[in-house]
Amino acid sequence: MKKSNLNLLLLLLTTSILFFSSCESNDPEDENEGELITDVTLKFTEVDVAGGMVGAPFEVVASDPNGLELGNNPTIGTINLKIGKTYLLELELFNRIENEDITEEIEEEADEHQFFFLGSAFVGSPVLTYVYDDADDDGNPIGLRGFVTVASSPSSNNAQFRLVLRHDLNKKFAGANNPNFENFVQAGGETDLDITFPLVLN
Amino acid sequence: MFGQGLAQENCNLTIRGKIVHAENNEPIEAAYIWSIENEAGTISDFNGLFRISKLCPGTYTIKIQYLGHQDYVEKLEINSNSNYTFRMVAEDIALEGVDIHGHQEALITTNSVSSIYGEVLRSTRGQTLGESLRKIPGVNTYSSGSTIQKPVIHGLHSNRILILNNGVRLEGQQWGADHAPEIDPFIANEISVVKGAETVRFGADAMGGVILVNPAPLPVKAIQKGEVDLIGFSNGLGINAAASFSGGSEKIKGLGYRIQGSSKIAGNVQTPQYILDNTGVKELNFSGAIGYSSSRLGTELYVSNFSTTIGILSDSHTGNLSDLESIIENGRPFREAGFSYNIQNPKQEVDHQLVKAKIHYHLHNGSKLNFQYSFQRNHRQEFDRRRGELNERASLDMVLFTNSFDLSYNHQTRKNWDGAVGTQIMQQANSNIPGTGVIPLIPNFDMINLGFYAIEKFTNGPLELEGGLRFDHRYVEAARIIRGDLQERDFTFNNFSAFFGGVYALTRNLTFNSNLGSAWRPPNINEQFSQGLHHGLAAIEIGNPDFESEQSFKWLNTLNYNGSNLNIELTGYANRINNYIYLNPTEEQFVSLRGTFNVFEYLQTDANFYGTDLSVIWNISSGWEFFSRGSIVRARNIVDDTFLPFIPADRLENGIRYQFANASSKSNTTFSISNLAVARQNREPEFDLAPAPPGYQLWNIGAQTSIKMGKNKLNVGLYANNVFNEVYKDYMNRFRYFTHELGRNVLLKFNYEF
Repeated sequence: MKKSNLNLLLLLLTTSILFFSSCESNDPEDENEGELITDVTLKFTEVDVAGGMVGAPFEVVASDPNGLELGNNPTIGTINLKIGKTYLLELELFNRIENEDITEEIEEEADEHQFFFLGSAFVGSPVLTYVYDDADDDGNPIGLRGFVTVASSPSSNNAQFRLVLRHDLNKKFAGANNPNFENFVQAGGETDLDITFPLVLN
Repeated sequence: MFGQGLAQENCNLTIRGKIVHAENNEPIEAAYIWSIENEAGTISDFNGLFRISKLCPGTYTIKIQYLGHQDYVEKLEINSNSNYTFRMVAEDIALEGVDIHGHQEALITTNSVSSIYGEVLRSTRGQTLGESLRKIPGVNTYSSGSTIQKPVIHGLHSNRILILNNGVRLEGQQWGADHAPEIDPFIANEISVVKGAETVRFGADAMGGVILVNPAPLPVKAIQKGEVDLIGFSNGLGINAAASFSGGSEKIKGLGYRIQGSSKIAGNVQTPQYILDNTGVKELNFSGAIGYSSSRLGTELYVSNFSTTIGILSDSHTGNLSDLESIIENGRPFREAGFSYNIQNPKQEVDHQLVKAKIHYHLHNGSKLNFQYSFQRNHRQEFDRRRGELNERASLDMVLFTNSFDLSYNHQTRKNWDGAVGTQIMQQANSNIPGTGVIPLIPNFDMINLGFYAIEKFTNGPLELEGGLRFDHRYVEAARIIRGDLQERDFTFNNFSAFFGGVYALTRNLTFNSNLGSAWRPPNINEQFSQGLHHGLAAIEIGNPDFESEQSFKWLNTLNYNGSNLNIELTGYANRINNYIYLNPTEEQFVSLRGTFNVFEYLQTDANFYGTDLSVIWNISSGWEFFSRGSIVRARNIVDDTFLPFIPADRLENGIRYQFANASSKSNTTFSISNLAVARQNREPEFDLAPAPPGYQLWNIGAQTSIKMGKNKLNVGLYANNVFNEVYKDYMNRFRYFTHELGRNVLLKFNYEF
């Protein structure tokens, strides 16, 4: 009896030593950061009263090649618009790290996403007005496409153009269909983008 | 009569002694001590102490008797006042030699230990481990909403305290503020808290204290018993069910087993004014144990599985600083939620497996050899609200394996000395599971820790002195890849720790404990490697791989008065922690396309903690009992001369319990009412997202009855917490910035023992 007890002890000792040597961490792997948005492109095309395109479109880009990495601030372009004109504004989102088009993802989940247009350009004494020109399946606006009109006699030639992308919000929330809804947080959800572009009117 | 002829002045000798269980040195109360020659006798007190006075010099035969234990007889020659320790061996096993079974192996320490068990433990059933432990003064919780609660001992939590799950160091991802301990409280028939530093015994981290979650010992006789619990609670419309069954084999003497399981389902909880969205919880746990004990050998195999899905308040995950500021300004979540059991993202899915094999073997000279091997696997997945398919994928997915191997040798001399020497080997491997689409928060790592320790205790009548020394060597290899860039780093930590403590029984009713212990804790992997966004706090956190280990020195003193009608325990402590690691806000803000974030960096400083706990139980008259427990903690960063964040505010709970004195009836009924008063935390750090919430008072009531049904017993309890639906916030809740605490919760509990 005694001898078998000791043998049992020895067996357990050996097994556990085996366990020890067999348990190692995996080699780390590179992650595909599919979620990041590194480049936001605002594509402006001037339109006439009838809605026809006038001239060549131009792009304003905000980019942050490393995403949420410390140390690099994003590069944000300046928006130059002409007084009294109306522009078609199309937004394109891109993940440069993984070469992924995020715009498509937003379109696929249009019911969970919405852009808001804020800052001194749109709020207070606005120099710009924005009208959504797209909608999800429930008829609620998205903001990937819309029209921006510059006031004919703006109070100032310089303003802040703040672009906010929210996801997982309640799009039916009272006031949320207003592109300049300052209290967008009340509709719930999370911010994906919050970029302030300098705006110059001439 | 013996010695009658001697001069009177020589007959003033006194012998003092202490009666303890041979297996675990726990004191034995109410043992009979007879001095046969002079027909003098006495009974040992609560601390196992006795004295026989007015003895003349000579030889006496001392006979000690205690129910269920072998009689102890010894001839002593008494020439001066002397002190002895007597060890009693349990009867059923004494025939076959010495063994431990039949007694729970108690933690032998000169630190004071507070426990909850029996009716008190039953009244906490259905609560998280953290919540249950708030019954012990000096223990609090650090929470992330109502579903994630981490125990706090004397202002310290996470890796600064240690949890022993059935004798095994719980190794999960404790570093996270929102990582609750992976333990099913239903496995315990006793939960104890050691408030002192116990690094020498248990290894790194046991700086603020140790929580022991102990199941009942396995049966060694041919009996069968079980327990079924069914609990319903109104807030969250939750149901909690548990069952356990244990038995002993009739054929093989000494073979016993237990199977146990519990499950919990609850939906969204509510504050007095609103429902908290996505705060449901699901839990399913089971465990099994089998043990065999013979005359010299004791073995146990234990397996447990814990798994939980925890909903995280949806609005607590904020996109950036302006989101966070808006919700803090609002003071409550924006999302208007209804009731639901549905758990969506953000959520956590955690499962934890434990396998433990334990053997002890009694050697001939009363000493004992212990061996324990344990294996743990901890799998943690955290899900965030994400776009597209990513929503189905965890954004944090880690598996942590822990192997540990403990070998110790306990020796006992016949009277005054006993102790232990041992070694502990712990090996750990953490792997991030690829495919999360997020750069992992912490790297993959391998760790090995070797520890050697020696503890020796001297017992002499009312005095016990204990000291110990330990050396630990730890080696960590960490690696991660950030966008193709492989980062590797190794760490070596060497640390000594030591303690010295004592217990002295001043009188029959009054004992004094004092323990000075050092402890160490290596920097957590997140404190070394964090470099990125912490969801929910809109904060970028930056770690530092060059941190040294924290070193602490805790001095704990406890005065315990145990009278017939009054029980008072007063604890005072001071804890100095050098190289204390904390998260410090920088002036910097980080701007990204997602908005602005605050930047926090981990720093090391020196910190002082001190405080006091008080517990009073007073039997006013038959049936009526008054109880009171309170605690005060002070904590300072002494380099910057500032207060540390998330330190519990002063709290005091007073209550009255009435027990129906009904000796003839088969039932036993108690009512209780208590008031909990928590002060505002006025000692705030310089930076906080919002000021500390005001103090608050809560009223809780409870009624409990036990009905004997033959050999079985039914316990029914009805409890109401926050009876008046008080609207309040608690400083120790990380979600206090934007939520209130729970409103009234009525709990109905059935417990059936058979």
